[in-house]
Amino acid sequence: MDFKAPDLRAVEAFLYEEVRLLDDREFEKWSDLFTDDGIYWVPAKPDQKDPYDHVSLFFDDKEIRETRIKRLRHPKIHVQIPHSRTIHLVSNVTILEKGLAPADFVTRSNFIMMEDRLGDERRIYGGRYTHHLRVVDGAVRMIQKRVDLTDCDGIYPALTLPF
Amino acid sequence: MDGIDIGSLVRDDAIHQSVYTDPKIFDLEVERIFRRVWIYIGHESEVKEPGDFQSLDLFGQPIVMVRQRDQSIKVLFNRCGHRGAKVVNEPCGNAHTFRCCYHGWAFKLDGALAGVPQREDYPADVDLDDPARGMPSLPRVANYRGFVFASFSPTGQSLAEWLGPATMGIDELIACSPEEKIDLSGGVHRYRYRGNWKHQFENLADTYHPNAAHDSTVDEDGMQFKRRPGSTGGRAPFYDKDGMPLVSKIGVWAFPNGHTSEGSMFSSVSQTGGVWEEYRAALAARHGAEKADDILKQKRHSLTIYPSVDILIAQHAVRIVRPIAADLTEVLVYPVRMVGAPPQVFRDIVKYLNITHSAGSFVQTDDLEAFRRCQIGQSAEGSPWCLIARGHRSDVTDNNGVMHGDRASEIGQRNQHKVWLSLMNVR
Ligand code: FES
Ligand SMILES: [Fe+2]
Repeated sequence: MDFKAPDLRAVEAFLYEEVRLLDDREFEKWSDLFTDDGIYWVPAKPDQKDPYDHVSLFFDDKEIRETRIKRLRHPKIHVQIPHSRTIHLVSNVTILEKGLAPADFVTRSNFIMMEDRLGDERRIYGGRYTHHLRVVDGAVRMIQKRVDLTDCDGIYPALTLPF
Repeated sequence: MDGIDIGSLVRDDAIHQSVYTDPKIFDLEVERIFRRVWIYIGHESEVKEPGDFQSLDLFGQPIVMVRQRDQSIKVLFNRCGHRGAKVVNEPCGNAHTFRCCYHGWAFKLDGALAGVPQREDYPADVDLDDPARGMPSLPRVANYRGFVFASFSPTGQSLAEWLGPATMGIDELIACSPEEKIDLSGGVHRYRYRGNWKHQFENLADTYHPNAAHDSTVDEDGMQFKRRPGSTGGRAPFYDKDGMPLVSKIGVWAFPNGHTSEGSMFSSVSQTGGVWEEYRAALAARHGAEKADDILKQKRHSLTIYPSVDILIAQHAVRIVRPIAADLTEVLVYPVRMVGAPPQVFRDIVKYLNITHSAGSFVQTDDLEAFRRCQIGQSAEGSPWCLIARGHRSDVTDNNGVMHGDRASEIGQRNQHKVWLSLMNVR
C-alpha cells in the first residue's frame, strides 16, 4: 500500500488487510505491520490510560509479540490443538486526527471477531479499534493497535489469537 | 448425602473422578467445605477509604466488602432487608450509604437499616429495627495482615488456627515491601474454564506438569521465554543437565488444613543490577542487608491457602479461585505493588503478569486447556480413578507439622484431598 495522506478508502483497505492476515493465520506478516517500537494493546479496563499501573489482557511489544507468534506455531500449543478459526469484521471507520508527526494519523473503527474451535463454545468478541498509524517508506505501519473490548473488564476463557 | 459414600471416593493415592464431575458432590462441597471454612474475600488495599466497597459473588451469593468509618472492614450479604433485591450493583466504588433501587430502603455502611420511605404505613408490630431488616454481616470475618477472610459458619476454627504455619506465605509476600505494606489496586486478570475448581487447586502444587503442559513456552534450544525482569530475567534454561525439567526438582510442601507450597527455581540467585539495587537498598534499610538479599532470592514460588487463594510470592501476585459449578470455575489474579519499592518494580510486575497469568498469557492458557480436558476425560467410564501416587510414602516431616515431598511429588494433591475428605465426612 502506498499513500501519504490518509484517504478513507486506503485506510479501510489497510484495516481489512490487517485483519485478513489474522484470519488467514499469517501472524508473522501481521507482526511486520508494526513499527519496531509498535505495540499491540488490549486494556483490561475501560479508558485505561496506563499499561503499567494496571493489568492488560495483552500489552505486546515486539519481543512479546514474536514470542506469542512462535508459540502459536509450536506443535505442542495444547490450547490451539485443533486451532481456532476466526473472522474479523471491521466497520464504521473514521480518521480521527492527524498524529503528532506529519506522517502519523489515528483511526477509529468498530470490530466483531468470531472464533470457533472444534469442541469449544463459539465466542463472539466486539469493541473498538484505535490504530495509531505511520507511513514509513510509503507503507503504512502500526505504532499502536489498541483494542477496547466492550467487556474488557469481564471474565474470559483462554485467549490465544489477536483481536 | 443419600446415595454417595464419600469415604469410598478418596484413597491415599487415588481419587475417584466423580469428585470432579458430579453436581451433587459440588453442592455438598459448597455446604461442607466452602460454607464452613475461611474463604479469602479481598485485600484491605482494595477498600482504602471509608465507604469504599468491592462486591463479589461467592457460591451463588452476592456479597459486599466495605470499609467502615472506624477503619474496620465488614463483609455483608448484598441483599435488601425489604424484599430481597441485590442492593449494591456496581463492582466497586465509594458510598455514603447503600440505597436499594426497588423501594428506596437505605443502609449504613455496616448494613444497618438507615431509612425506610413512608415508614408510617408499617403496623406497630413490624420491628424495622430487627437486624434481619438490614444487610447482615457474614457470620465471621477476620483479617490477617490486610488479607480479609470470612466464614459462612458461626463456629469452627479461628482464622489463625485455619492458616497455621501457612501464614508464612503472606508474611514472605509482605516482606517484599520495604514498608511491609502491599497494595492490590493494579487491576485484576479474570478468566474462567469449563472444569472443576480442584483442577486449578491441584495444579497450584503440581511441579510435574510443566514439561508436557508448557512445552510450547520452551524454544528448541531448551530456553523458556523471558518471563521475569532483572538479572534472573531473560530467557531461562528449562531443563537440567540430565534432561529433567528444573521445575520438577524444586519440591512441594504440604501444610496442615490442605495448604501447599512450591519451591522456586530462583532460590539461589538474588536479583541484582539497575532498579534492583535501589530496591535492595530500600529493603536493607528495613530488614538489614542479609534479609534483603534473601527476599530478592524468591525462595518460594507460591503458597496456596486451601480452598480459596494462592499467594504468588516469586511473582508478586494474589490469585483467587472461585468455584461456580462442578464444571465451571473462575480465577482472578491481582498484581501486588510493594509499597516503598521503586515504581519500576511494579511496572515490571504488571508487564510480566500479563504474559504469565492473564487469560491471554503464554502459561495459563495451556493449564486451562488441561483442566478442560480433565473435565471431559473424567466423564469417560472404564477406569474411574485418578492417580496421585508420586512420592507416596516417601514424604518427610519438615517442621511445624509441614511435610515435604521431593522433586515432583504429588504430596500437595494428597494433602488437599485429605482435608477435602475430612471436611466432607462431617455432616
Ligand atoms: S426490595 Fe429493597 S427496598 Fe424493596
Ligand atoms: Fe501450569
